[in-house]
Amino acid sequence: MSSELVIKDLHASIGDKEILKGVNLTVKPGTIHAIMGPNGSGKSTLSNTIMGHPSYTVTSGEVWYKGQNILELDVDQRAKLGLFLAFQYPVSIPGVTVANFLRAAVNGHRSVEGKDPRETQIPMAQFRKDIREKMAALGVDEAFARRYLNDGFSGGEKKRIEILQMSMLKPSMAIMDETDSGLDIDALKVVSQGVNTLVQANAEMGVLVITHYQRLLNYIKPDVVSVMMEGRIVREGGPELALTLEERGYDFIREEVFGNGN
Amino acid sequence: MATKLPAIASLSAADVLVATEPAWLQTWRQQSLAAFAAHEMPYWRRTDLTAFAFADMQLSADLGTFKIGADAPPGVIVMPLSQAVHDNAALVQAHLGSAVSAKVSKYAALNAATWRDGWFVYVPKNLESTLPLHLIQGFGAGNTLIARNLVILERGAHLTLVEQLHGDGGPYSNVVSELILGDGATLKYTAMQTWGAAVHHVGHVVANVGNNATIEWAAINTGALHQHIEAETNLVGNGSRVDWMAATVAKDGQRLLTAPWLRHVGRSTEAHMDFKTVVKGTGYATFDGMIKIEGGSTDTITRLEEHALHLSPQARSDSIPGLKIDTNNVQKAGHASTSGEVDDEHLFYMQARGISKDEAVHMIVMGFFEPVLDRIPLESLREQVTAAIAARI
Repeated sequence: MSSELVIKDLHASIGDKEILKGVNLTVKPGTIHAIMGPNGSGKSTLSNTIMGHPSYTVTSGEVWYKGQNILELDVDQRAKLGLFLAFQYPVSIPGVTVANFLRAAVNGHRSVEGKDPRETQIPMAQFRKDIREKMAALGVDEAFARRYLNDGFSGGEKKRIEILQMSMLKPSMAIMDETDSGLDIDALKVVSQGVNTLVQANAEMGVLVITHYQRLLNYIKPDVVSVMMEGRIVREGGPELALTLEERGYDFIREEVFGNGN
Repeated sequence: MATKLPAIASLSAADVLVATEPAWLQTWRQQSLAAFAAHEMPYWRRTDLTAFAFADMQLSADLGTFKIGADAPPGVIVMPLSQAVHDNAALVQAHLGSAVSAKVSKYAALNAATWRDGWFVYVPKNLESTLPLHLIQGFGAGNTLIARNLVILERGAHLTLVEQLHGDGGPYSNVVSELILGDGATLKYTAMQTWGAAVHHVGHVVANVGNNATIEWAAINTGALHQHIEAETNLVGNGSRVDWMAATVAKDGQRLLTAPWLRHVGRSTEAHMDFKTVVKGTGYATFDGMIKIEGGSTDTITRLEEHALHLSPQARSDSIPGLKIDTNNVQKAGHASTSGEVDDEHLFYMQARGISKDEAVHMIVMGFFEPVLDRIPLESLREQVTAAIAARI
């Protein structure tokens, strides 16, 4: 059972518009894999499609993880398999506290079909201890546990709560969708540190970092960098590729791939 | 005991008068009976009056059950209204019908003429009661429950009160509650309609709010087959305030309507209304509300929010908000309204965290109601209602 994330010739659309036009990508366990690309290249569509967002229709292709074509699974089943999507724009859910939401998420992960939930639920004392420790590590005030999820939170607070969720759920494959957008440098450092701590604790964890800018990659250092353009992966390289893109922009790759005047 | 019970369609004075009651009350009942006969049937938008046809109703031999959920808080006088008409005659005579008069509608007149019991609650001047008082009204085996409650808070008094209509029976219930708040009084009021699934319920609940008095009102409606509640807050006093919330769940076949009226009369009055509805299956809920800012009301602040969540495509909710302003000096008047299904983005987000779709919908709905349920002052009751709602969605 491979814990590689393998994407094969993935095509996906919103309505009639095809956004992903044959994505091929493998994210190996224990690696940090960055996907960079200009706006509109399909990066966010890719992360949402992997996770199963209902607005995107997969027209062909496969996404394999741990021995299953996950496109056949419900969204929550994908999460339980170890996938985690850190949202670019986390939604707010009025009336549901951070603590209650997290407990439901943890218990969702622990649930086993056909088993009484009372047998699998996390004991309350252990949950409280866990959430307290994780909040302290991320510099999130404990008062946030009692607030409604993301309701009135700043951009930075929302992203910290995303990382808090990730550290509670301990995914084996995390997808960070433009996690750096809207973050100031201090928040960026805290968030990156949170990701790095998780990676250090789990040598088998894979991370797919989706970003427009190289900046985030100063803090979360990638092993592999792929470049996405017009719905396909068009280049793959090492960390140096990110620096080249930072210097030269995306145009030179566009010319190499699509030729002049295209 | 008479085997044939009086039909409501053809009531006579002999059917409604109680020989042992004081003369003033007998007169009042007779006048109410005359008003009942004189009234036309009301025009109630969206309410199917055939569900409340007088031809099908008769006065019940069984007068219903009246229970106190916990002991009455110290200093607060709580007794059956039938007893209070003797023991506290002056107070009852002064206030009975002052908030809900027989003139309001044929159904209110019926209640005034024929009620047999209900609760009398009296909080003396400046008594700040904090312990919640939980009053439960239920059906006996009878056909029609006609009950009347009178709640009086004197100047500076505080009370936390839960009125609950609970149980199977009927099928007809007609309940009036009059809430009288003296100057500077505070009433935390929870009104729960958790009737059994076959009940046809008509309610009139009216609060008259004095100078600098405050009512925090939370209405929870989950039971009954048909519900028509006319609820009204009269901000009569200067500086009076209402913070008014409601949670309604209408499921298969239920038709639940609330018609809240809010009247700003005094100066510097303030109102916040937040009405929430969840409909499922073939459930149908209606909000038919009106805010009226009277000519003398200045520096008024009023805000109305109503939100409806649809959990299935056949479910229906209607919202008919109205605002009438007869003054030039409103400080703030706002209105927000939403209606729709559970947001796909919310579901996706929650499922992406390993929460099943059913559980996610459940959490979203309970979160939607959370501010209202949070108002229920008794933890055991809050848990009971939360579980009852959860079981219905």
